[in-house]
Amino acid sequence: MLRGCSLLMLLLSAWLLTACGQEPPPPAATIRVDEAMGGTPDPDFARAFEPRAFSFPGDHGPHPDFATEWWYLTGNLESDDGRRFGYQLTLFRVGLRPGEAVQDSDWRSNQVYMGHLAVSDIAAGKHYSAERFGRAAAGLAGATSRPFEVWLGPWGLHSDGDFFPLELEAQDDGFGLSLQLLAGDKPMVLQGERGLSRKSATPGNASYYYSFTRLPTTGEVSIGDAIYRVQGNSWIDREWSSSALDTDQAGWDWFALQLEDGRELMFYQLRTREGEMHAFSRGVLVERDGGVHELSPEQVKLTPLRYWQADDGTAYPVEWRLQVPGLELDLSVQASLDDQLMDHTVQYWEGAVDVSGSHAGRGYLELSGYAGGP
Amino acid sequence: MFSPLLLRAGLRYMLRHRWQGLLALTGIVLGVAVVLAVDLANSGARAAFELSAQQLQGKATHRLVMPGGTLPDEVYVALQRQSGAPPMAPVVNGWVEIEGWPGRLRLAGFDLFAEGPFRSELAGVSSQVGFTTDWLTQPGALVLGESLARALDVAEGESLDVLYRGKSATLTVLHVDSSASAVADDLLLVDIATAKSVLQMEGELSYVDLILDADAEAWIRQRLPAGVELQTALEQAQGVTRLSAAFELNLTAMSLLALLVGMFLVFNAMTFSMVQRRNLFGRLRAIGVTSRELFRMVLLEALILAVLGTLIGLLLGVWLGQGLTRLVAATVSELYYNVSVTALVLDTGSLLIAIALGVLATLIATLVPAWHAARTPPLTTLSRSALEQAARHAVPLWGLFGVALLLIGLTLALVLPGGVIMSFAGLFSLVLGAAMMTPMVIRLLHSLLARAAPPGIWRMGVRDLDRHLSRLGIAVAALMVALSASVGVGVMVESMRGSVNTWLSDLLNADLYVAAEGFDQGAQLTPSLVEDVARLQRVDAISRYRERKLPIDGRRVEVIGAHLAEPSRQGFALLSGASSAWQAFDEGAVLVSEPLAWHLGLAPGDTLELPTVDGPLVVKVAAVFRDYASEHGRVFMDEKLYERVWPGQPLNTLALFARDGDVEAMRREVSELAAEHAIVITSAGAILRESMAVFDRTFRITEVLRILSLIVAFIGVLSALMALQLERGKEYAVLRALGLTRGQIAGLISGESLLMGLLAACVALPVGILMAWVLIESVQRRAFGWTMPFGVDGVLLMQTVLVGLLAAGLAALYPAWRSAHADPAPQLRED
Repeated sequence: MLRGCSLLMLLLSAWLLTACGQEPPPPAATIRVDEAMGGTPDPDFARAFEPRAFSFPGDHGPHPDFATEWWYLTGNLESDDGRRFGYQLTLFRVGLRPGEAVQDSDWRSNQVYMGHLAVSDIAAGKHYSAERFGRAAAGLAGATSRPFEVWLGPWGLHSDGDFFPLELEAQDDGFGLSLQLLAGDKPMVLQGERGLSRKSATPGNASYYYSFTRLPTTGEVSIGDAIYRVQGNSWIDREWSSSALDTDQAGWDWFALQLEDGRELMFYQLRTREGEMHAFSRGVLVERDGGVHELSPEQVKLTPLRYWQADDGTAYPVEWRLQVPGLELDLSVQASLDDQLMDHTVQYWEGAVDVSGSHAGRGYLELSGYAGGP
Repeated sequence: MFSPLLLRAGLRYMLRHRWQGLLALTGIVLGVAVVLAVDLANSGARAAFELSAQQLQGKATHRLVMPGGTLPDEVYVALQRQSGAPPMAPVVNGWVEIEGWPGRLRLAGFDLFAEGPFRSELAGVSSQVGFTTDWLTQPGALVLGESLARALDVAEGESLDVLYRGKSATLTVLHVDSSASAVADDLLLVDIATAKSVLQMEGELSYVDLILDADAEAWIRQRLPAGVELQTALEQAQGVTRLSAAFELNLTAMSLLALLVGMFLVFNAMTFSMVQRRNLFGRLRAIGVTSRELFRMVLLEALILAVLGTLIGLLLGVWLGQGLTRLVAATVSELYYNVSVTALVLDTGSLLIAIALGVLATLIATLVPAWHAARTPPLTTLSRSALEQAARHAVPLWGLFGVALLLIGLTLALVLPGGVIMSFAGLFSLVLGAAMMTPMVIRLLHSLLARAAPPGIWRMGVRDLDRHLSRLGIAVAALMVALSASVGVGVMVESMRGSVNTWLSDLLNADLYVAAEGFDQGAQLTPSLVEDVARLQRVDAISRYRERKLPIDGRRVEVIGAHLAEPSRQGFALLSGASSAWQAFDEGAVLVSEPLAWHLGLAPGDTLELPTVDGPLVVKVAAVFRDYASEHGRVFMDEKLYERVWPGQPLNTLALFARDGDVEAMRREVSELAAEHAIVITSAGAILRESMAVFDRTFRITEVLRILSLIVAFIGVLSALMALQLERGKEYAVLRALGLTRGQIAGLISGESLLMGLLAACVALPVGILMAWVLIESVQRRAFGWTMPFGVDGVLLMQTVLVGLLAAGLAALYPAWRSAHADPAPQLRED
């Protein structure tokens, strides 16, 4: 899974400016995603060349040999009286330099964490989001595998066991989440080739990638002074790599859909500079029993139907037709709320969607690489 | 409105008497310029201080500190992990030294990830790709401002060695920030990890900045660990601004002086121009111009002059201000820390005062004569003596008014309770009163002189002065103000210098002082060194000192735990509680410095609360001692008590007394230790010399401003004399015709002028001494809390008289030369 890559690359160049609020966005922050993705990580970082033997719970924890890594949580929740919420908590680990940091101080680290938190209050038509950064030193941010914990200041995931049940705690100014995620019935899905997800033809330009596609979730969503008891389903993506976008890739559209029939569909469309679907776009359909069908570009047809325009003029396709003729899927994917823009260090759109058409369901959509031109 | 004729008459007059108009203009220009320049220099220095403080403070509303110590990392780490935590930014900073660099520089360590809401300029210093990586991962990565980089002669990629507590660390310039004022000029900006490493503060923070609203404040207060204090930004700002209080006071006094001199210059110029024109006014009235028209014309003319003069004055003031600002910045840099006033701060207040002075003072100065000119019957107006007579009648009135102001001033400054502002108001009133009294005093002195004067030219000169009182009175008063201020400030500085010298010589009575290497007062001696020194043969007695700063009542009080050898005790000048004070000291009471005692109203027997981690420590005051070391105050306590309250703190300084007075032998012994330990050995004499050098540097700016005010007063006298001599051209022609030689005419003019200078100086001496008294007893006392014996230096007084004479003599040169060389014939033919 690619999402986040651009964020991480941009982080290195531009976090400072937008992270520092108040100031108008400086030029660096509007660097086009494809340009930013052109940079290659330090060659001394480990790279994903071939499938690995995953080992848990160790692999739930950090992999500092690789340049980037994330714990990516999204989900659709509903309160007892039927109020709908979408949520996102992403914790990124960024290796600034390979290897151990020079130990001149306890506050020195080569690892930095970035977090994005968002809650969509669908009924109220509001989307709340926040961003944080921290160094992996002095207890400010970090990750451990046993017991499992990833944290960035007050935001974090932790488990008393190996991974599940997983506690999610993230409050920001005016909104927050306090959730418990259970393992549910669905097994872990190894993406790509036994967990090796290739992003381009270049060897090593790949990531290790696994997902939990349907995690029963309960807890609380707070908005202002109101606290809602909620339940629903979450989705976790775990990915680490030292790869970069290829020069012909401009951005991506990523779908994570949980269908009412108990199946899940994930598909990411890498877009070429011409706006075409790149050959390394991939996806997967997870059967009710956990069996998987890999999806390649030839099997999937994606058509944007409607665009929503952000204040800066960027148009995001918030309504799609997603067809997988071979599997008899013809889905209409619509944003539950048009404005679910993540306007932080990097601008992208990520939010809850409704699925209708041949099958009904809910899910999450990420649109990246649109800001700063087509 | 006026008839065009009237306007043309006014204009023609001005054109024909260019000199007079020009002199009036000069007066206004100079007055405005001096006031603006001094004010600009002051606000420039203040702005530099504030910029520095503000950059460190950013948008923080509160700060978490550990009184008297550093904040453990855990306090911050634990707080920032809790849900609902407000924005917080940890800071590690300290002062470092760079070899070959005179001042100290602040090494400030921030966590840029936490800085966003706080110091966006600081956080935003770089936008280059890769910057973040190097900043975070490369030890010693440094960002600094362009002007500091230039001053230190370092460029990006080059390294810079800094010293902290005797240890050297290498920083590498990652980025030189060229955006204006993003990085203050005394700041070495580093990542917090680098700061912790260089400043040896592992596990510790200097403080944590917070942005709190009422809810968040309550949130934090509920979670404050024991010993941690939440301070408001206001409390912080006070601490920073206090640092410069002494210096600023100095500048304020000078501003005030400039304002006074400026006022007199403007008054002088305008009154003069009015007096000279009574003749024209008389003629105009005689040909039927109504008094109302005349009044309006005069005011309009004054307004034009005022606006023109003020505009030129503002330009000149800005130009002059730049020079002065640089000088002030240089002094601040040497005394406190590096600031550079790159941009002139055109402060609205300064401009308004200067404009008000230029316009209002000019108009007010015009009002009375204009009213006079308009009201008096034409014939009287034409008469030369009428105005002089009026002026003479007014002299006693002004004098009485002056006496009243003087008394009010003294009451404000010395009798009524109040702060420094009150003292300054009193001082201002005093000087103004004295200036108003000047013509009366001149009249009195004159009547004495006239009786004693030898016959001939001399007597003529004396008489003339009285006759021209209306024209010269104000010029003499202006000179008097400048001279008296010079005496006042001079006597104050001298008294203080003498007191500081005596105090230091008494206090620094040990033969040698040993401190750890490094500029910092916090530099610490290793315990092994202390043992080694104690074992030395040639050392007879040792006094030991360790210190820390504690916040007491918004002041940063130095608390010193000392083991004092007998001779060290004798160095203290105890002001009260002398008997049995040392016994009380040994039993746990403390010695309090005079400034602290003054501000807290402490007397021997009172108690004082010192903040500690375990809550306040209540100590008894044994005695109050004279101290000029810190306006914030100092507290001496016995080493044993200090150790109990703040255990484990290494010593800062040792004072050594040589056995049998053989200092050289002891120095050799101690020097051998210096090879193993990073220590500095200093003699009392060297410390004294250095301290006095610092003292002199502090007051160097005072000297410059004193001279400046004298120059301005000199120009005032010159212009008054010039105008007078020009006007009296005909009178001199008559005198020449009567047989006076050129030399005699020149002598007459010079004699009159010198007499003027002498009279001004005679009045200035007592007024100046009075000013000094107010400055010492009221201003210094209220601002700093210290007292000092009053010492008047005869040389200074003599100097003042000479300067007065010199100014007056020089001012007379050109008028004397001109009048003596003028051809009397055309002048006589005119009538």
